Amino acid sequence: MIARRDVARLLGLGAAAAALGTSSAARAAPTGTMRVRIASDIGNLDPARIFQIENQTVAGNIYNGLVKYDQATNKIVPDLATGYEISEGGKVYTFTLRPGVTWHKNYGEFTADDVRFSIERVKNPATNSAYSGQLTSIQSVEAPDKLTVRIMLSRPDPGILQKLTAFNQGWMVSRRALEAIGEQRYPLQPVGTGPFSFERWTPGSEVRLRANPTYFEGAPKVDTLVFRLIRDETAAAIALQNGEIDVFYALQQPEVITQLKAAKGITILQRAANHTNNLVLNMTVKPLDDIRVRQAIAYGINRQAILDGFFKGTRAFGYSVLTPSFPEYTEDVPKYPYDPDKAKALLKAAGADGFSLDLYGVAANPYDKLTVPIASDLNGVGIKANIKILERGAYLQARSKGDIPTCVTGVVGPPDPDSPLITLFAKQSFPPGLNTAHYTGIEDLLAKLGDTQAADARLAIYHEILAKTMTDLPAIPIYAENLFLAHGPNVEGLVQNSLFTVQLYSTSLKA
Amino acid sequence: MQTLVQLIVMVFGICTLVFFLIRLIPGDPATAMLGDYATPQAIAALRADLGLDQPLLVQYGRFLGHAVTGDLGASVVTGQPALDQILDSLPASAALALSGLAIAVLLGVPLGIVTARRAGSWTDTLVMIGGLLGISFPVFWLGLVSVLLLAHEIHLFPALGAASSDDLLDQLQHLALPALVLGVSTAAYIARLTRSAMLEALMQEHIRVARAMGVPERRVVYHLALRNAMIPILAIIGVTFALSLGSAILVEAVFSRPGLGSTILKGILARDYQLVQAGVLVLALAVVVVNSLIDVAYLAVDPRLRRA
Repeated sequence: MIARRDVARLLGLGAAAAALGTSSAARAAPTGTMRVRIASDIGNLDPARIFQIENQTVAGNIYNGLVKYDQATNKIVPDLATGYEISEGGKVYTFTLRPGVTWHKNYGEFTADDVRFSIERVKNPATNSAYSGQLTSIQSVEAPDKLTVRIMLSRPDPGILQKLTAFNQGWMVSRRALEAIGEQRYPLQPVGTGPFSFERWTPGSEVRLRANPTYFEGAPKVDTLVFRLIRDETAAAIALQNGEIDVFYALQQPEVITQLKAAKGITILQRAANHTNNLVLNMTVKPLDDIRVRQAIAYGINRQAILDGFFKGTRAFGYSVLTPSFPEYTEDVPKYPYDPDKAKALLKAAGADGFSLDLYGVAANPYDKLTVPIASDLNGVGIKANIKILERGAYLQARSKGDIPTCVTGVVGPPDPDSPLITLFAKQSFPPGLNTAHYTGIEDLLAKLGDTQAADARLAIYHEILAKTMTDLPAIPIYAENLFLAHGPNVEGLVQNSLFTVQLYSTSLKA
Repeated sequence: MQTLVQLIVMVFGICTLVFFLIRLIPGDPATAMLGDYATPQAIAALRADLGLDQPLLVQYGRFLGHAVTGDLGASVVTGQPALDQILDSLPASAALALSGLAIAVLLGVPLGIVTARRAGSWTDTLVMIGGLLGISFPVFWLGLVSVLLLAHEIHLFPALGAASSDDLLDQLQHLALPALVLGVSTAAYIARLTRSAMLEALMQEHIRVARAMGVPERRVVYHLALRNAMIPILAIIGVTFALSLGSAILVEAVFSRPGLGSTILKGILARDYQLVQAGVLVLALAVVVVNSLIDVAYLAVDPRLRRA
């Protein structure tokens, strides 16, 4: 039944893992306390219900998945599984698990049953998981023996591996731990297999993790991780310079980035994030249903000026909703360079010059302020743009209803191309989902993607999707996000990922 | 007995008010929790799970029923009992409010007395202008400036207002700057109020008589006038303390300190109804307790009230 062997693709890491396991004794004992700033308090570390980058950052140091993203390259590499095989027809995925992995806090050995439990739990409607939709193609999970997991799909779904990668629903939980701790208390008493185990949460102040000395890849280099809640970026920058914290990730404000770049002893890392921020246009309201009006808006916004002036050169140009951190990225798509005259002409041709447009955004950095230059540009081409910034709860409610004409938004997530594409543009994501454009133009291409296994054929379809969305313009990418991370002089070996999180397993502190 | 009845009526009123007010804000916990991945089914299921699909009055009845037994429900975000989370944040708030108040009283009352005694003098004008500035500058601005100046430029205090250890000395060191900022900004109120209360007291007949009889000025000011002026001063101290328990939120934000105000705000933003209800209730009870203590203090300073 099993036709294609992908084990080789995973570099035969079983042997490497075994070697690493023995080397843990030779590694120096974990020492020191690494202090990392988080911008808002954590609240839920249950992979089925987790949201917000702060929760995901803490969880990312506690949990593993079957496979994971390589921090530097975003390639999918082995984690709790040493390899996997895909059956002919692509409907059965068989994972071989790493032997001898144990759960934190004496919850015993990690087995195939835990994998079955984790996946079934996310799919179970009673769990109320926000991510159950990510695993819809999974029909059943079998655990024929302790170290083998068989995942049966209802239809071929080459994207399923991305969904089982260590992030959100891809993080594995322990059946024994959940049964012992209970659904109610588990969100803040998480149990994982990762390099750090959860120690304590002090609400409004900090989260403490402790090194897992028996971690399967070897004990981490630092003994304690403290995630300190510092809401204000300026305060966090001062704390970093004063040596009160060591790592400041997901920096946003251009002024703070510039200031820290010039500060003595501070290192700034930068890389492309996995998302763009976009002006999503509701294609069901007049006159946005007219492609000429959407084109006019695209030509009418001076995106380069926003990058230079508003972001002071800290962000990148957005060509589509994918960024260079995706292997599927391409710049070979229709482009709309700033051309106010062309915009005015298009509006006139559509009979829509002088129409009034509400720009909706959430009251959070940078969405609230970003609407200002957009509105000003649109006013310049004769569109009466009104800024509507709503508090998060009110914004989500307005967006869920689906009748807002526009919104400025992005999809922060893993380097899985389906994450932004399906979430923003698929019919299944109509409001209350994020497809407030009510766009249906790529349904056939998405279906084709589901039937295509070969990597280069899939890549070609992704390129086609990107070109199609930039032709139909359900959303106009305003800019591509960059991630900035600053750390103090004592931090070594930090690898920045393209998520809005920070993984500290490889990091050490200078004595 | 009367106080107890008053207390029960007040707590009931606050519970009711908070219950309905928080539900008036647009948005609900289910949409807030599911965010970008919301589907109609997921929202409906979560709403049913949280009991939000029930009529409002049924939800209210259920809430009151549980509240009577001391169960204020679990936070929808964390799943932990809401009351525990609120009580956890109370010590940090109390420490800041108490130390801020101590600084405010130690600074404000003497300044008020001195300026009242020398009303119209240069000292009076200078202090009152300073006081006006203190009131006029928002506390978060004072906080930011003090962090930049005293933590960044001169490394006198840590920039973070909360310690990471259980070490008492470490905690005090982190508390110092936020307490100073809160204290200085409230000292301005207390100084101005003390001054006017003292001015009024010093103009009373019996003070003039006492002065005419040759009672030493020290005794006139501190024994005869101050005791009379103490009633309004105590009142403002009580109100200030109760307010700063919940409203030190700006100071908490600038100094990254945990506290009751920040916890309630977090609850409001996440539409975590249970957390907000528990927070406001605890805050209201704190105000009641503090006011009762102030009533007792009145009796101590003013013997006339004991007879009444």
